[in-house]
Amino acid sequence: MRRLSSSSSGQGFRLLARLAFLAAAASLSAQQTPESATSLSREVKDVFERCAKAVVKIEATDQHGELSGTGFFVDPTGTLYTAYSVGGEAENVTVEFKGKKYPARQLLADLRSGIAMLKVDLASPALPIGNSDQLEIATPVVAIGYPLDLAETPSFGMIAGFDRKCFGGYFPTKHLRVNLPPQRGEGGAPLLNLKGEVVGILLYTFENNSCYALPIEAAEKIRSDFVRFGEARHGWVGANVTEATTPVEGSRAVTKDIMKDTPAAESGMKSGDVVLQIGRTTVHEPEDILDASFFLTAGDVVPITVMRGNEKLTFNVQADFHPVTRDLPRLPGMPPGGLIAAPPLSNRAIPLNLQSVPERTP
Amino acid sequence: MNPAIALPPARRLTDLLSSGPDAGVKSKRNAMDEPRKDEDQQLVARTQEGDASAFDQLVVKYTPRLYGLVYNMTSNHEDTNDLLQDIFSKAYKAIRGFRGKSSFYTWIHSIAVNMTLNFLKKRGRRFQLSLDDVDASIQNDKEFLEATASTSPVREADLSELQKRLNEAMMKLSDEHRAVVTMFHIQGMPHAEISKILRVSEGTVRSRLFYANRQLQNYLDEFRKNPVT
Amino acid sequence: MDEFNDNEITKLLRLKRYEQPSPGYFENFLHEFHRRQRDELLRQPFWRICVDRARDFALSFNLSTLTSYPAAVTAVLVCAAVISLRIYQAPQPATVAAKDRPALVVPASSEPEWTLASPVATRVFNTRSLRNIKESAQTHRSGTPRYVLDSVPVSYETTFKF
Repeated sequence: MRRLSSSSSGQGFRLLARLAFLAAAASLSAQQTPESATSLSREVKDVFERCAKAVVKIEATDQHGELSGTGFFVDPTGTLYTAYSVGGEAENVTVEFKGKKYPARQLLADLRSGIAMLKVDLASPALPIGNSDQLEIATPVVAIGYPLDLAETPSFGMIAGFDRKCFGGYFPTKHLRVNLPPQRGEGGAPLLNLKGEVVGILLYTFENNSCYALPIEAAEKIRSDFVRFGEARHGWVGANVTEATTPVEGSRAVTKDIMKDTPAAESGMKSGDVVLQIGRTTVHEPEDILDASFFLTAGDVVPITVMRGNEKLTFNVQADFHPVTRDLPRLPGMPPGGLIAAPPLSNRAIPLNLQSVPERTP
Repeated sequence: MNPAIALPPARRLTDLLSSGPDAGVKSKRNAMDEPRKDEDQQLVARTQEGDASAFDQLVVKYTPRLYGLVYNMTSNHEDTNDLLQDIFSKAYKAIRGFRGKSSFYTWIHSIAVNMTLNFLKKRGRRFQLSLDDVDASIQNDKEFLEATASTSPVREADLSELQKRLNEAMMKLSDEHRAVVTMFHIQGMPHAEISKILRVSEGTVRSRLFYANRQLQNYLDEFRKNPVT
Repeated sequence: MDEFNDNEITKLLRLKRYEQPSPGYFENFLHEFHRRQRDELLRQPFWRICVDRARDFALSFNLSTLTSYPAAVTAVLVCAAVISLRIYQAPQPATVAAKDRPALVVPASSEPEWTLASPVATRVFNTRSLRNIKESAQTHRSGTPRYVLDSVPVSYETTFKF
């Protein structure tokens, strides 16, 4: 420990003064916080008390043995969301609700989004679906889950970021990074705003005290595919995008190649086209493609606006099935892998000089 | 069980019409492979008659080759071991139905690729790399010496770094693309053979390879720009 | 900028051929294969083993013998006798995880969720052998489940394709 030398006694006084000031400021602000702290804590408690009953513990067995995780109801007929690692590859799934265990069956398991949907045959309380677009950095959020073998447990934290990058690659769609400390067993837990609406599904831990959640819109896209088709239908147009050195009309996403025999190729899109809009998503940089891509549905028509030279063009492209779901080599005797593609519409380029209005958004 | 195999344009019509195990085999194979075809035929026939030791010989013969195929698709030694056991087990159970329309080589490779792809589909991305050690004899390999001698940043990497990056690059590919890359680049199979094994056209094989090569190129380029430790 | 062309990629990838399993692996493989075949055989239901053996036995003769009913019945009875003797003498399948891999086992009574009593049903469920996951093997044995919260995403993208 260094002794203060005579020449730094002035410094010492200044330091003391600073500390005194801080102490005074702290005591002053402490007098101001009780109300806001109380109201915040009341809100958090409210959320927990209202929503905990729709959150369930899920137990199952997979190839590694028994597992335990969390899920939550989203409709009154017992439909559940959970993490893929909980309900995606598991058998003998049971859901614990109001102290009793019910068997659950799998409706859907989607690796791309990282979630699974289960179904229990009972009348269930349902969590209202919120909007993750309304979240901002430092928005407070609550998670409710079943850590280890404990009862339903709340966690409190805040939105720390909206991340695309992960672990050497990219998330299939932008994920919410949340500074709340998740615990094992909470995979599949709902992430709620202070209105008690679900804004995300807790999926991955990150650096011990932080975690990643799938935005609820992404899960709802999968669920809506399930309602329409009985399965997730990831769409695909067949274009590869890279970063342009200079932005064109606000976008740095330039088409690098258009793959042969794909909807993009058939529609007339060409390499070199700068992508401006895909359905509802405005594209500014290549990473925006990921979100747009995630929300494409095979068979649906999506308007894609590009800049080619000085011309703004819009193509109505009917998305095909994403390669993850087709072109699988098959064993003799098995039906063709993948799904039956809907007959393609004629894809024509519509040269426009005006901003196009999407006819039908994904 | 008569899958429509899209064979490449035949040099001889008789290749297509023949129903023996050599049907469609192109002379791209080197001479050393030809005796193996007859040998396989005999071993299969003996197995079908009930001689289990004949199947053992097939196992011993094909394990190293299939190991390479499966390992490079999964990058995990334990998974490879389990898959190989399952592959031979399945082959043994199914061999009675093997009619010799394709060669045993094609047949067992087909089983191996399909089982591995199904496994990879289920495994998803949740895996641990479990890499085999690189055999010391690589140091005498001409290509290795070239690869590590050049002054370009990526090529300066030492052996384990190179191995890691190659494996990472491979794992970035989709399972199907990794399969063709493994078969063509690592196992050295000709396009025709790959197309028979996967039951796709040779054109599809070529385009998958082209696409995969570009992806690998991009990834390795990217690595050069942004090296990640 | 593009220093890699297809040839370079090929050369680099060929080097992966040098990644080989530990010495003795291939020599041991056949041995392991036989062991698994025996294990599988022992776990089949009795009737299935009889049918398979009878079929093998019959196929070792020519077709005309196969169609002979008395021959078939004799074959089944002989096989049944042989197999029942074998099963009687066979050791119990390992119920404790070996160092490398837990063996496929009939579920112990300590797992009430496993209502599948028949070993056939168990085997159907475990179509792939249990992985070499030491932690889960331990939790499996001790009765506590694996509490799920992944540390890596189950899938991720690597390029900007759509």
